[in-house]
Amino acid sequence: MKKSPEILLVDDNPADVVLVREALADTAHQSHVHFVVGSEEAIAFLGRTGRYQNTVRPDLMILDLNLPNRDGHKVLAEVKANPSLRRIPVVVFSSSGSTGDIHRSYELGANCYVSKPGDLKRFFAAVRAIEEFWFGYATVPKRENDERSSAARTAH
Amino acid sequence: MPTSTEEVAFAPIDAGKPGSSKLHVLLIEDSQLDIELVLKELRRGGFEPTSSVVQTQEAFRDEVRVCNPDVILADYNLPGWRGMEALEILRQEQLDIPVILVSGFIGEETAVEYIKQGATDYVLKGRLARLPNAIRRAMQERKLREQKKYAEEELAKKMLELARSNQELEQFASVASHDLREPLRMVATYTQLLAERYQGKLDETADKYIGYATDGALRMQTLIQDLLSLSRVGVEGPERTVVDCNLLLDEVLRDMTRVIEETGTVVERSALPEVVAGRSQVAELFQNLIENAIKFRGDRKPTVMVKADLVKQDWVFQVSDNGIGIAAESRENIFAVFHRLHARTEYAGNGIGLAICKKIVSQHGGSIWVESEPGQGSTFKFTLPGGGRQDPA
Repeated sequence: MKKSPEILLVDDNPADVVLVREALADTAHQSHVHFVVGSEEAIAFLGRTGRYQNTVRPDLMILDLNLPNRDGHKVLAEVKANPSLRRIPVVVFSSSGSTGDIHRSYELGANCYVSKPGDLKRFFAAVRAIEEFWFGYATVPKRENDERSSAARTAH
Repeated sequence: MPTSTEEVAFAPIDAGKPGSSKLHVLLIEDSQLDIELVLKELRRGGFEPTSSVVQTQEAFRDEVRVCNPDVILADYNLPGWRGMEALEILRQEQLDIPVILVSGFIGEETAVEYIKQGATDYVLKGRLARLPNAIRRAMQERKLREQKKYAEEELAKKMLELARSNQELEQFASVASHDLREPLRMVATYTQLLAERYQGKLDETADKYIGYATDGALRMQTLIQDLLSLSRVGVEGPERTVVDCNLLLDEVLRDMTRVIEETGTVVERSALPEVVAGRSQVAELFQNLIENAIKFRGDRKPTVMVKADLVKQDWVFQVSDNGIGIAAESRENIFAVFHRLHARTEYAGNGIGLAICKKIVSQHGGSIWVESEPGQGSTFKFTLPGGGRQDPA
């Protein structure tokens, strides 16, 4: 049986976390949505340190830019600079539509930038489209392979 | 005997004479006789003079600060210095006090050199009768200089204030774009979620209230978006390029395909020129005007016509329709922001579109106006400077 996708949602707005979960509640992919509220938690989750030691490695990260201290870009930069994390696709999902934020995100290696729609139907549609694209159409690196290859590198 | 500095106050002989005025002069002079001649001439000329007298540079430097004279009268032939240094000292001390050279003899070249260095005038001792008027003129000039300086300072202050208030406005726009939109998005999405989940589960009144709340939030989102567009017209001075208005209109109409088809609008167009303008701004201009032309259609099949004519040096564009038209008394204010002529239930909108049009046209140095026959249609006209070279392509 095909494994459910694991999605890490980084967003400090609980209302948006609820909306994303609502949007993905009844879809065919049955994604597991994990969420963290800040940049430090996100890095800890991905590195499986501290209280996140037993978490899974996500197949996709959905990242809000508007974290405390405007730290979204920092998380993005750290993930894309880290050889063992950089293959995780990152979808920036932000309420900002500013050209500066969009350019910077792609420069830092974001795989996609989606503005949070202000209308519920479109918000749900956007979140479902992200899930459908990344797990219905795109091919993403397999979790196991990734871990084996990074383990192999460490052994050398 | 004159000392190095001496305060000499004379009884005001001409005190009763109309127009007499107090005057403090600083004399650079070593002849007591000349001092008295000068003062006598000043009294005769309608002044009530008081005076300080100095003979050396050091004394001058000290005294000019202390006595704050209205005018300095300098003899050119003093032992040790020639008055020219006085001008230099005034410059160093940043004092704007008129200096008039008073001398027994002075060559034209020397006089010119003095004036170049900043002296206001020169008067020969043999012709002292000229002195009062020379002083009046010097003081008048000084007053004008002060007023000019004051005006310039005020202007600089105002410019600074303006720059600051512009900056605040930009910041406000940015706050509106991010910090206001975010909570508003929460209100909009969650009232919609409420509606979706609880529609029909409460009662009819509750459904209606949720509907009002949702509608209000969505409208405010559009409003903020439009306000931002309006403020950006001013902030982002767009790059001006040569814009082929035919291609631009193609694009605008392509974006509007759906509304054009849905309303069965017929678009007629003639060849348009090239203009030097901000491309996206002119696109927005066309789009707003054509949208309005379609929105305010009447019962007839809507027809929109776009054309341009060269009038003198400028292109006059026009977008005309066969819609409901605008009553004469309403035409004046339609370009003001938030100005709406119709109830929201009749025609949606928030009264920003034409304000944006006006701002775009003004930024390009043009003007915009409307001609209309109520019931027959409206024609919006605007000018864009075209240099008057290119014919419609």
